[in-house]
Amino acid sequence: MNAAFYVVGQSPIHRLPAGRKLATLALAGAALMWVHQWQFLCLALVLVLGLLALSGVTFRQLLIQVRLLGWFILALGAYSAWAESPALALEMMLRMSTLVIAAQLVSMTTPLTQMMTVVEKVLAPLDRLGWVRAERVALACGLTLRLIPELALQWQDIREAQAARGLKPGVLTMLLPMLLRTMRRAEELAEAIDARSSG
Amino acid sequence: MKTKDIVLVALFTALLIVLGLIPPIPLPGVPVPVTLQTFGVMLAGLILGPVRGGLVLLLYVVLALLGLPVLPGGRAGLAVLAGPTAGFLLGMIPGAILTGWLAGRPVAQGHLAQGAGVWWQVLRCWAASMLGGVVLVYAFGIYWMAHVAGMDFPKAVWVMLVFVPGDACKAVVAAVVAQRIRRLNLV
Repeated sequence: MNAAFYVVGQSPIHRLPAGRKLATLALAGAALMWVHQWQFLCLALVLVLGLLALSGVTFRQLLIQVRLLGWFILALGAYSAWAESPALALEMMLRMSTLVIAAQLVSMTTPLTQMMTVVEKVLAPLDRLGWVRAERVALACGLTLRLIPELALQWQDIREAQAARGLKPGVLTMLLPMLLRTMRRAEELAEAIDARSSG
Repeated sequence: MKTKDIVLVALFTALLIVLGLIPPIPLPGVPVPVTLQTFGVMLAGLILGPVRGGLVLLLYVVLALLGLPVLPGGRAGLAVLAGPTAGFLLGMIPGAILTGWLAGRPVAQGHLAQGAGVWWQVLRCWAASMLGGVVLVYAFGIYWMAHVAGMDFPKAVWVMLVFVPGDACKAVVAAVVAQRIRRLNLV
């Protein structure tokens, strides 16, 4: 599942702790909102591209992830240039591109497990306050990840069963059986979990 | 929140992820192939109700942001938050909540579940899906897009209108399918 997303590596960026990367990203993002001169925004973009080079993530790998966003930014930039002013459009496009690349860079150099640890740390004080049951959140996350391959297989099963019966399997015809099986599975799983935790 | 509720939330989130990985479907008369994402908002709200449905979408969004490649096209990551479409992604959470709330509690089999009662239920689910899964999500999405791009809100609405017919069809399917499940009182 993680195939083309997290880029394995040992660069300085990879080795930064996840929490620090995220905090820096958030601060940088907020700070850039106050910068309006295109020269400074250009500088920020160049800086981020430099970090990208440092990380070992290739531009091509990044592009696969952000291509769609790139088109959106271009389209909005074009509209903004026409409806407002080219200067404003340029400012918006520079800022957004910088932030998009920076954000994706953090994501691509931080494996899911590290991100989960950050979430745990953030939830810990909330857990102590009694607002959130951290173990329940962990259960939900873990279960979801575990169930994805199972449900994907179930989808395949339904498709084959329908094809074998001569029906043409389309998303619409497969949806109801899929949902029914899913709902029924919930019952079994809940019992299994309860049995395990009380036994 | 019982164990079964947590399991349902996890299962449904996994289901949303699996559905989301199916390639977009071209529909006749709609300019852009429809993805199954808004579908997920509608189904989660209709079947699980506002609380669990909202949690499903919350879990989905958080996992996508943390790096699970579950967005259409196998994408993921924090970039979405920085881009112009962040409102659409985050808007799915209140969208599911509103859909669930408007659809109300499922009516058990045998009680208003015959004849005209069924059509009324389906219609209500359809309306809930449109208002929650479409109107509210777009409201968040367009508001954010207009805010970051300096775009005119009314003009942005016109642009988005092109997606509404496809979404209206999705809402019909969601309502019909959800109604069958709701009647069975499995949740």
